[in-house]
Amino acid sequence: MQSKLSDIELIKLSLKGNQSAYADLVKRHQCFVFTLAMRFTKSREDAEEVAQDCFVKAFRSLESFKQESKFSTWLYSIVYTTAMTSLRKKRLDTSSIDDEETYIQIENVSSGYDTDNAENKSRSFYLNQAIEQLTPDDATIITLFYKGEQSLEEIAQTLGIEANSVKVKLFRARQRLKEKLERNLKYEVKELI
Amino acid sequence: MNSIEEKLWDYIDGICTADERAAIDELLTHDEAYQQKYLELLALNREIAAMQLDEPPMAFTYNVLETIRADYAKQPLKARINKTLINVIVGFFIVTIVGLFIIMLANINWSAGAPVSSTAAPFKMPGFTKLFTSDVFKGFMFFDVVLGLFLFDSMLRKRTSIKQA
Repeated sequence: MQSKLSDIELIKLSLKGNQSAYADLVKRHQCFVFTLAMRFTKSREDAEEVAQDCFVKAFRSLESFKQESKFSTWLYSIVYTTAMTSLRKKRLDTSSIDDEETYIQIENVSSGYDTDNAENKSRSFYLNQAIEQLTPDDATIITLFYKGEQSLEEIAQTLGIEANSVKVKLFRARQRLKEKLERNLKYEVKELI
Repeated sequence: MNSIEEKLWDYIDGICTADERAAIDELLTHDEAYQQKYLELLALNREIAAMQLDEPPMAFTYNVLETIRADYAKQPLKARINKTLINVIVGFFIVTIVGLFIIMLANINWSAGAPVSSTAAPFKMPGFTKLFTSDVFKGFMFFDVVLGLFLFDSMLRKRTSIKQA
């Protein structure tokens, strides 16, 4: 059962050495942190490693959390930095993280993989598939806005950019998501015919 | 100039001004193409909002806490010891030493400061036996007991919090 205490109360208890309070804090945010890590790593194993690393880092610097922003905003900025570092390390030998071609490869693999069971797929499946095909930046901004309960200003704080830039990036990310979703659905319809 | 889609997204997100909102409301009532686009974006917005978060493995929280514990155990002892506690102990010893020094000075017979001769009175040690039965000694013992109980309590608290986790 999850604690009814607020994030701040749980942080205060954690700082006093109460580990079960920190366990509650982890349980409360783990799904979102894991999802965000998945947006970058595209693999469950790597996402688990990144998410775990984020919570350990957050625990180590819990004393430096000044409560000027929400705990989630502070935690998501740790996730963003950790995931970016992990992604850079992995892609150092291959290509840039913003390279669209990298994601075209993933796109093609995903499209071919499920053609046999196309009739069983729901629209949410296609949506997840389309999100997976986005660049980490686009997927992160969409996830933060829709699932992280973050305002444009809070997302700007997390990503270290201006709120206006977040608005523009969010618009472009949604446009690209729409295009990918339409393309995937068209592809599946063709396969069925 | 903002595109139609950009304006509609602002309208859906509720971040446009009152004037812009009124203008879009007007367009949605009269322009069918605009309405069509709006419904399309609204459907996409609902779908994205309804997407499910990924679930980490069952042992995720346990693994995080285990890593933190292992991390803590790897820390050198110097970093783990509470500096306040060290300062209290140092302070206690300094006060005790200074106190004993003052007592010793108070017990010296300064008037017997004549040159050393065979007839000089032998040096007298301060009355330590009296000291052990005095209030100072009782106070010292009381302080030690309180300090011991304090340390025992903090040890039990730590053990309880580890068990709870």
